[in-house]
Amino acid sequence: MNVTPLARRPLSCLKSSLRQARQQKIFSRSMVTEVQAAAAATPKTPSQSPDQNFYRLVDKKTKTIRSAFALYPSTSAAAGVPLTPPKTTNPVAALHEFQIKKLDPTGARTALFARTREAAKVGDILLVTHRRGGEPFAGVCLSIRRAGIDTAVLLRNHIGKVGVEMWFKIYNRNVAGIEIVKRRLKRARRARLTYMRKPKHDMGSVAEYVSAWRKSRRVFQTKGAKGKTAAAGASGKGGKKK
Amino acid sequence: MIQLKSMLNCIDNSGAAIVECAMVIGQKRHASIGDRIVVVVQKQRDAGAAGMAAASGAKVKRGDIRHAVVVRTKQKVTRRDGSCIKFDDNACVLINKSGDPIGSRINGVVGMELRKKKWSRILSMAPSQA
Repeated sequence: MNVTPLARRPLSCLKSSLRQARQQKIFSRSMVTEVQAAAAATPKTPSQSPDQNFYRLVDKKTKTIRSAFALYPSTSAAAGVPLTPPKTTNPVAALHEFQIKKLDPTGARTALFARTREAAKVGDILLVTHRRGGEPFAGVCLSIRRAGIDTAVLLRNHIGKVGVEMWFKIYNRNVAGIEIVKRRLKRARRARLTYMRKPKHDMGSVAEYVSAWRKSRRVFQTKGAKGKTAAAGASGKGGKKK
Repeated sequence: MIQLKSMLNCIDNSGAAIVECAMVIGQKRHASIGDRIVVVVQKQRDAGAAGMAAASGAKVKRGDIRHAVVVRTKQKVTRRDGSCIKFDDNACVLINKSGDPIGSRINGVVGMELRKKKWSRILSMAPSQA
């Protein structure tokens, strides 16, 4: 059915003849590619060129190698001994350890957020001081994201009736210090206190806690200063208290 | 993430209380802290505050189309050192075409990103920065 109209097509019908020509072209093209693929597939086995031991694709016109893929013999066969698996090390953990050692040589930052009794916990009020000026940011710690060198804390506070939350990387060099202003009375029973964003549980501003803490510190400082001027014993006592 | 139809608080004393974003200027994405937007004033401040604004001669009315700078976003903004900041509301400050603030004072905290975007006038007017 399809062949007959093509056989007696009018000579003047340019459109249909062109269409036929295109079809033929496509057919021929596909044939050529198939042939080429077959030709390329044949020298794939390494046995054909054992001396060179890699597969070359030689350009017919310029006689140059266009690409080469090395084929290595299997290691166990080459050595003649069974392979021992390499020692399993966690490179990411090693890198984190290295970086933490570099950024926190004293280990104080690590200790502050370690899983110990003395460490800062979720629900505590923390004060973060920046190295590059700016006002120190205080807030309730809503969550601690422990992730090696990327360990960060989320603090929430109210500044002028607007809630502000900030993430701080604890190993950041711009973070000059993190201090515990006030500990939570009871241990929080959640790892992330996201409920504290709700108006019912929102703590509001922590400014009064910070100012009270500052005042208490100032008392210690003046005592210490007096002790230094008067006698060395008093300062030693102050140090013990800390 | 301020985009078309976003409602923002206006935290200056220009007379506007709530504005709606009509366009983000100069970019095809959403606006963040320090970006300039076009807003429509949706709600004026109450009569007393409006009267004060009228006295200062920089009053805007409901339906006015103005330019504004975003100063706070609910969306987290990451800083160069890896720290993030997030506010509980979206807020802006109205400015005129040349970039000067319409109001004479700002109540409320603004983001530090304004410094990078060179809005030092607004930063100096703000009572606190975070």
